[in-house]
Amino acid sequence: MASPALWQRCIAASALASTSRNVTRTFTTTTAVAMARQRPGAQKPTVARVPGLDQPGTLHNLSEIHPLLDHYPRKTDQDGHLNLESPKLWASDPPLDDLLKNQADDDVDEASLPHGLTKDDLRKFLKRALVVKRTSNMTTAGKIPSMYALVVVGNGQGIAGYGEGKDDEVARAVRKATNRAMRNLTSFDRYDDRTIYHDIDHKFHATNIQFRSRPPGFGNRCNHYIHEICSCIGILDISAKVWGSRNPMNVIKATFEALSLKQKLPEDIARGRGKRVVDVQHTYYGANE
Amino acid sequence: MPRHYDLCARVQNGFAARLRRIAVPDTKMNLAISNVLYKEGFIASVNRGDHVQPDTTYVPTTPDNIATRRLWLELKYNNDEPVLKKMSAVSKPSKKIVMKVEELQNLAAGNRSQFIKGLQPGEIAILTTNYGVLELRDALEKGAGGEVLCRAI
Repeated sequence: MASPALWQRCIAASALASTSRNVTRTFTTTTAVAMARQRPGAQKPTVARVPGLDQPGTLHNLSEIHPLLDHYPRKTDQDGHLNLESPKLWASDPPLDDLLKNQADDDVDEASLPHGLTKDDLRKFLKRALVVKRTSNMTTAGKIPSMYALVVVGNGQGIAGYGEGKDDEVARAVRKATNRAMRNLTSFDRYDDRTIYHDIDHKFHATNIQFRSRPPGFGNRCNHYIHEICSCIGILDISAKVWGSRNPMNVIKATFEALSLKQKLPEDIARGRGKRVVDVQHTYYGANE
Repeated sequence: MPRHYDLCARVQNGFAARLRRIAVPDTKMNLAISNVLYKEGFIASVNRGDHVQPDTTYVPTTPDNIATRRLWLELKYNNDEPVLKKMSAVSKPSKKIVMKVEELQNLAAGNRSQFIKGLQPGEIAILTTNYGVLELRDALEKGAGGEVLCRAI
């Protein structure tokens, strides 16, 4: 009912009343409170439930995390100050999941990132969940369903990767796939930062893909999976045709293989032949903006 | 007499097998195409020799040794990769390809011409013209068309 502080104040009030008025009668708690209410000009006893909020006119230090004011805490740096630009940390998963987690599902370790990337860069990456399927594992107990996700991530400046993840829930599968994609980032060569250097023919399982380099302003006119991958990589002008199987997972894997392995840079070709290479487009006609 | 596609096959297979040098039949056409490959930087040298090894000193070709005469081409590799990936015949006995200057300009620009795909960055085409066996861009400089023998990349 009443807090210990209130009790103390009531006892003090009653003691004060008895001594000041020289009355031998002792007051009970309720009468003391009633008397305090009835006394003219009397102030309500202020009770501070939370330390630091009892003095009127003093503002709480809003740069520190407060257990009452900041119910969902934001990230802090070493000094304990808030970083208001960081996203909120939401309530954690139930404890059982921590036991079942394996390393691949954890968020990416910054030290393992390639090309000098940081976790802040990863947050600005484009993330596309291109394939989300419902798979089922047939066992003696029956069909066990599971959700599969294939996510492509990229920064639109030549760095991209893909990852696959499986879980009972779609959101968790997508998150696993995203983390794996962040782990498998590769750098892609682009001519003029907009297209591939030359036409590429690649076969992956039953999927044959022909990529064609195209002039500026052409656009990405290709299969919708290849289109998404090209926008994640930062390829702006390309034409592609998928022959044979158009299975989405294989089209995506074929595209990544072809664009990372099969491109030959003119500088490397010239070095092998012992020739000097000049980009006529840049030298005589000006570079493509 | 071995045709130009015989040379294409030998050169391509030699590079694929990572050989140091290959011996091809010693003919005027083979010598001319090998010269173009040498000038373009695909092979390191062209030597005459016999079927065992290249000649160290000059050996004249006579009816006695003509059967053993070979052209030795020294192959080039860079970064653990062959410098020549593919060499294929364009004009074949089943379908001869003779192109004019305009069609050759199309090829050089990367566009298709006479059902032949355009040249990719780093690709060359060897053709025989009235001025001899030339690479495509050299033929365009001279303003000459001709039979497109092979292409190499």
